[in-house]
Amino acid sequence: MTTIKLWKFFAREDLYECYQCARCTGSCPAMEVAPAFGPRETILKCLNVGHEKVVQDERIWLCCTCNVCEDRCPQKIPISDLLVALRNSAARRGNIPGRLVMAIELLAKTGRSMIVHQLDEMRAHHGLAPLPPAPVEEIRAILEKTGLREVVEF
Amino acid sequence: MKEKAEIREQLQAPDSRDLRIGVYVCHCGKNIGGTVDCVKVAEHARDLPGVVLAKDSLYTCSEPGQEQIKADIKEQKLNRVVVASCTPRLHEPTFRAACEAAGLNPYLLEMANIREHCSWVHLHDKEAATEKAKDLVSMAVSRAARLAPQVELTVPVTRKAMVIGGGVAGIQAALDMADAGYHVYLVERSGSIGGRMAQLDKTFPTMDCSICILAPKMSEVGRHPNIELLTLSEVKSVSGYIGNFNVEVLKKARYVSKECTSCGDCIQVCPQLAPDEFNAGLSIRHAIYIPFAQAVPSTFLIDMGQCLNNQGIVACDRCFQACSHKCIDFSQRDQIIEIEVGTIVVATGVDVYDPTALTELGYGKFPNVITTLEFERLINAGGPSSGELIRPSDRRRPSKVAFLQCIGSRSKRSNPYCSNVCCMNTIKDALLIREHWPETEIYVFYIDIRAFGKGFEDLFRRARREGVIFIRGIPGEIIEDINTGDVTLLGENTLLGEQYRYSMDMVILSVGIKPRRDSEDIQRLLNLSTDTDGFYMEAHPKLRPVDTTTGGVFLAGAAEGPKDIKDSVTQASAAASRANILMSRGEVRVPALTSRIDPDKCTACGLCARVCPYHAIQGSKEQGYYRVIEAACQGCGACVPECRFEAIDQTHFTEAQIVSQIDSVLANDPHEKIVAFACNWCSYAGADFAGVSRLQYPHNVRIIRTMCSARVSPAWIERALLKGVGAVLVSGCHPADCHYNNANQNTARRVERFWKRMERIGINKDRLRLAWVSAAEGAQFARVIEEMEAGLQKLSPRQISQDAEKLRKSLVKKSETT
Ligand SMILES: Cc1cc2nc3c(=O)[nH]c(=O)nc-3n(C[C@H](O)[C@H](O)[C@H](O)COP(=O)(O)OP(=O)(O)OC[C@H]3O[C@@H](n4cnc5c(N)ncnc54)[C@H](O)[C@@H]3O)c2cc1C
Ligand code: SF4
Ligand code: SF4
Ligand code: SF4
Ligand code: SF4
Repeated sequence: MTTIKLWKFFAREDLYECYQCARCTGSCPAMEVAPAFGPRETILKCLNVGHEKVVQDERIWLCCTCNVCEDRCPQKIPISDLLVALRNSAARRGNIPGRLVMAIELLAKTGRSMIVHQLDEMRAHHGLAPLPPAPVEEIRAILEKTGLREVVEF
Repeated sequence: MKEKAEIREQLQAPDSRDLRIGVYVCHCGKNIGGTVDCVKVAEHARDLPGVVLAKDSLYTCSEPGQEQIKADIKEQKLNRVVVASCTPRLHEPTFRAACEAAGLNPYLLEMANIREHCSWVHLHDKEAATEKAKDLVSMAVSRAARLAPQVELTVPVTRKAMVIGGGVAGIQAALDMADAGYHVYLVERSGSIGGRMAQLDKTFPTMDCSICILAPKMSEVGRHPNIELLTLSEVKSVSGYIGNFNVEVLKKARYVSKECTSCGDCIQVCPQLAPDEFNAGLSIRHAIYIPFAQAVPSTFLIDMGQCLNNQGIVACDRCFQACSHKCIDFSQRDQIIEIEVGTIVVATGVDVYDPTALTELGYGKFPNVITTLEFERLINAGGPSSGELIRPSDRRRPSKVAFLQCIGSRSKRSNPYCSNVCCMNTIKDALLIREHWPETEIYVFYIDIRAFGKGFEDLFRRARREGVIFIRGIPGEIIEDINTGDVTLLGENTLLGEQYRYSMDMVILSVGIKPRRDSEDIQRLLNLSTDTDGFYMEAHPKLRPVDTTTGGVFLAGAAEGPKDIKDSVTQASAAASRANILMSRGEVRVPALTSRIDPDKCTACGLCARVCPYHAIQGSKEQGYYRVIEAACQGCGACVPECRFEAIDQTHFTEAQIVSQIDSVLANDPHEKIVAFACNWCSYAGADFAGVSRLQYPHNVRIIRTMCSARVSPAWIERALLKGVGAVLVSGCHPADCHYNNANQNTARRVERFWKRMERIGINKDRLRLAWVSAAEGAQFARVIEEMEAGLQKLSPRQISQDAEKLRKSLVKKSETT
């Protein structure tokens, strides 16, 4: 599988702006569920042990791209760009968590990333019409276009 | 007609037949020598016309280096000296003095800047740097050949000084000058002197009571026979020059006369209220008030914005009735006072960062989140709670407080620099809480603790020993419990790698300090420069730390950069002493840079007089010619390019000198080169700063210095293009920062006209660039050169010579039609 140049998508010098103030981790919702994961540590590890190690760590997939870290960062480091670039790099190396692969497959097949069986029943209970069928073809086309097929079979 | 003859004599070109130029190429240790092959450069110089000797030396500015120059002047009968070394902004005075000591007129020295403009900015290309250095030396030698001796004018220095800003720095400067026997006008904008220090409770590192040590100095100012205190006053205009400034001060009406005994009877009756600025808005004052108990002058004042009589009619006279001394006078009016002084000290201090913009911290929204300045007032015995530690929401004593460091500092979202005082201020505040309310739990959330000064580390250690808890990691968010008013801090302890959640009774944001909101006003009035952070810039960061680039104007206190009280006072005494030197000498030599008009060539059109920013050119059609009043001319040279009859020239920056520099640059490979004209004060200094910062940029640029960018003549640009130059840069101070009263408007106008001309003829306009580069914008200078070089890469030598041909043809056409 092809690897991509991480630093083409994120200016490496921006890492050096970080002085580890921890405002980002202090506001990171993913940090709530996984201590010792957060933008601050991710940056520090990129600097001290190299991004090669970082992309092997499954915890980078915990980031939900809420962008709060970036909003709070006093150094205006585009942290979510970094995390997206890291995850792209990880994906190309085949480091995607299994449950994410499953979700992608499901999305490609059904147009939904999760199936809730009682959904229509619940909607009916609230007087709502059943959900219209998902535009599977359109979604597949979008997934193709993003280049996701290079990383995940669907 | 004697006058005419005199002017003509001054304009005489020097006799160039017996030139004996000595060239000294300095290694500056490894600074130049590590990159530039100085031996080769000296060899190159030896073959230049007029050069009789060329030497390289390790440190030309050292005593032996200077002695060598002096000896050569005497023994080898040198009549011009060229030193290729660091920027002339650093050592020109040194080498001029050496020349003078050996009997050579100091104006016969020329410098080539091969350090800041060469070795430091081309560190990785030794060959190119050496070639560039050769070029720079050639330019300097050809200019040197055309230098003429000059006699400097001596002007008297008025033995009076003005201090702008009455904080601790302004107070110290005023006292030092007044004690030396000079009359001082202390101009303070607010109702009392004292500044920020008056607002503080205690001062680090000694924990002295702030007002107790400041008040005696304030009263000394109040009664000093040599100090005239002007409060509620602001500087409105400044004209003149070193030793001879005319300042207009707007003195606002106080509405209360000096007889006021500060009994305070008036306050009781005044119905109008406003937030009290001195207490950081934590309490209320009346429209008639005194800023604080120890205020100097101790006279009440009326805030007309709040007073019911602000419409010009007397709608309320309660205070007037209440005052038994009849000091209240609604008929007082603002006045403009004109003052003549010889020197000015700027001590306008700092503002405090307003953290409202950092919404995640809740300042302004959660009452129990306050700033350190508010805290100072809160625990001060003269403050809103009479010194009781209470929290704003319920006036309860907090049992758990947190300090958050670096708020508004060291950040691209606010001020990029470290504010210098907030670490120690927090430690001081923490210890104060410990001392008075020992049961309080105190947490300090920080990134780094900077305890660098004398006694600082001791204080930091004491705080730790006394149980103040330091946690590394600033909270990302603060949330408030609306029922209790308590606040919770969410964050990460980076040293433990663990998340935290602390509930606190009160949070104190350790806010930074920043340049005054309106610091630009003073900057413009006095032609000061500012650094990238917005503080006033010193003439040299190490060697002239209190001087500015405007002669006779000095800096004191935090206006020059964040600093604590001790440093502010030290700097104030330094500034006063610099001003005292000028005043005690009583006269000063002004550089011989004035313009002169050749009366024979002058047609009395008067165009030059219209562009002179100092009204220094006088004359009339009747008289038949115009002339420059030397004492008024500041030497910008803006008038020279304006004359169509080549009747004006500027001393020491003559047409012949600069044209020879252009010709020298373009003698070989012209199409590869960029000729950059840079003004002395901003752009040349900006290029120096690029060097000091070791920013690397393309080596094909050659900088030619003028005093003002308005000296740059379109004829020079034309000449360079005709000779096939790659590109031309004209650079000066930002429009409002011109050191010559906006003379650089002319620069912009002339360049724009030239662009139009290029367009008409069909020459690529990008080959002429206009850029405003301040002395702090080294990076901007480097960027501009990089962009120009990128543009140049797209041009072929053929296109360049075609352009030159087009220009030549257009000139022929023009001369045929006229
Ligand atoms: C919260 C806080 C706590 C601090 N604690 C300490 C401490 O414990 N120890 C310590 O050493 N330092 C401390 N400092 C720093 C200290 O306040 C400064 O070093 C000091 O005030 C600088 O003095 P200054 O005279 O330069 O400026 P300022 O004190 O700011 O005084 C400037 C004066 O100039 C006047 N002014 C401004 N513009 C104009 C104008 N255009 N025309 C006329 N007048 C003008 C202002 O009204 C003011 O009176 C603290 C600072 C802050 C913000
Ligand atoms: S907020 Fe920005 S500077 Fe602070 S630790 Fe996070 S990434 Fe680094
Ligand atoms: S005249 Fe103005 S200052 Fe005096 S009491 Fe009335 S409102 Fe207050
Ligand atoms: S002095 Fe301390 S708190 Fe203030 S900006 Fe510098 S490091 Fe931050
Ligand atoms: S324009 Fe400048 S150089 Fe010319 S007379 Fe006026 S101040 Fe002097």
